[in-house]
Amino acid sequence: MNHNQQSTEARHDDDPALSEFLASLMDYTPTIPDELVEHYLAKSGFQCPDVRLIRLVAVATQKFVAEVAGDALQQCKARQASIVKDKRDKQQKDKRLILTMEDLSKALREHGVNVKHQEYFADSPSTGMDPASREE
Amino acid sequence: MSDGGGETGREHPKPNTQRKLGGDEYAQAIAKIAVAQICEKEGFQTFQPSALETLSDIAVRYTRNIGKAAHDYANLAGRTECNVFDIIQGLEDMGLPQGFSGASDVDHCLACSGTVREIIQYVGQSDDVPFAYAIPQFPVVKDRNLTPSFLQVGKEPPEDHIPAWLPVFPEPHTYAPLPTPDVKAMEPMVKMEQKKHRKVDRSLLNLRQQFVCNGLDGLSSEDTRDADKGKQAGEGNPYLAAPMQYGEKEVSRVFLPAKLSNEATVENPVSSSQVMGNHVSVLATFAPAIDAMQGRLLDSEEGQKNVLLNRSNTVQFKIGTGKKSLNTMPHLSPRNTGFEMISPSFGMEGDKDEKKRRAEKILKESMENPQGLAQL
Repeated sequence: MNHNQQSTEARHDDDPALSEFLASLMDYTPTIPDELVEHYLAKSGFQCPDVRLIRLVAVATQKFVAEVAGDALQQCKARQASIVKDKRDKQQKDKRLILTMEDLSKALREHGVNVKHQEYFADSPSTGMDPASREE
Repeated sequence: MSDGGGETGREHPKPNTQRKLGGDEYAQAIAKIAVAQICEKEGFQTFQPSALETLSDIAVRYTRNIGKAAHDYANLAGRTECNVFDIIQGLEDMGLPQGFSGASDVDHCLACSGTVREIIQYVGQSDDVPFAYAIPQFPVVKDRNLTPSFLQVGKEPPEDHIPAWLPVFPEPHTYAPLPTPDVKAMEPMVKMEQKKHRKVDRSLLNLRQQFVCNGLDGLSSEDTRDADKGKQAGEGNPYLAAPMQYGEKEVSRVFLPAKLSNEATVENPVSSSQVMGNHVSVLATFAPAIDAMQGRLLDSEEGQKNVLLNRSNTVQFKIGTGKKSLNTMPHLSPRNTGFEMISPSFGMEGDKDEKKRRAEKILKESMENPQGLAQL
């Protein structure tokens, strides 16, 4: 830690960027609520009264989730694109983008998380169905 | 298509109502909604519940890992509270599998770390989508209502050795001792009420029995201790020979008084000699008590007919009292017949109580007159 602090002292020119960013976090509302992050941070022993730091963690987590979701979305799109063309007419209906375990596990693997889709785990039968179409 | 937030709002109450709400269910539900909102912003239209659950779980773990790492780094630097550099260090640790710019540089500056730059970039790019619901602060921690100290209340501590900053004592009526007789009187009453009727009856019977025993013993100990001693010896100590006589008596109860009189004559000749021997020594001091017994015993010796008459009287009492009061021996003194009259109430009890009572009586009598034991 000492040497890190020394290094931060060595480059004071970069400090304003960080403090500005932390200040700007007060205006930015992360999707993950502060209360949730605070709760889990407190559970892990984290102790800090500064809301900006909690926001920082919230933003970092949100970025992580967004990256994973973005990767899963690419997987999903790639899978849909590889479907044979003669099924396109049927696919018109199923064109919606569904977050599935299959795509998610592939996306998470890139982030160092090893998740496997449970072979015999059945999601609810209406999984992936459009709730709007269900209502119709 | 309805938005993800709305969908999650519809989907998630269900499992929560089905499952028993545990400690962390609330936070997990909130995490799911938040993750669903992020996914929706990324472009997903819908999701598999298991996928959303997995992703929200991983998001929570990510948060906790950052917190843990930051806490560890703060502790490593000798602090208890984390600062931004601890968090950045933790973020770098978490971002290692992915890699970030400048990760290879060991002496890189934390303030201009690649992870922070990526986060700044992300915040700049993405619009802020606030959480769909307003969340109260949780977990709810109830404020402790502390007892004010002597100083705060403005009272003087009752004793000199109590400092004023200690909390005040409760009201005196909450700890002042009550008069003890009341407590003692109340406790048995409460206990009695709690007991069942049978137990109450039994305890009452025991109490009465004790009174009876004490009354008899008191009498014997007060005025006719020696006479009682003589009587015991005269009966051949029926309590020691109890089992034999128990059976015999039962038979005699059931059958005619004539047979009983025969048995009585069989018994008495053995003991009568001892009685006579005792009588000589005791007679001078306790004449009246022994006279009655002596008279009867003498009668029994004189002839069967007189014994029959005398015996028939006592037997009549016993038939009236019932079978169970067998332990009380056919004492010939009028006191004992009085005791027999009381005994019907004991007939309600079981044989166990009879035995217990007999043992008690033996013990008590032996305690009362150890001389009698010495004689035996």
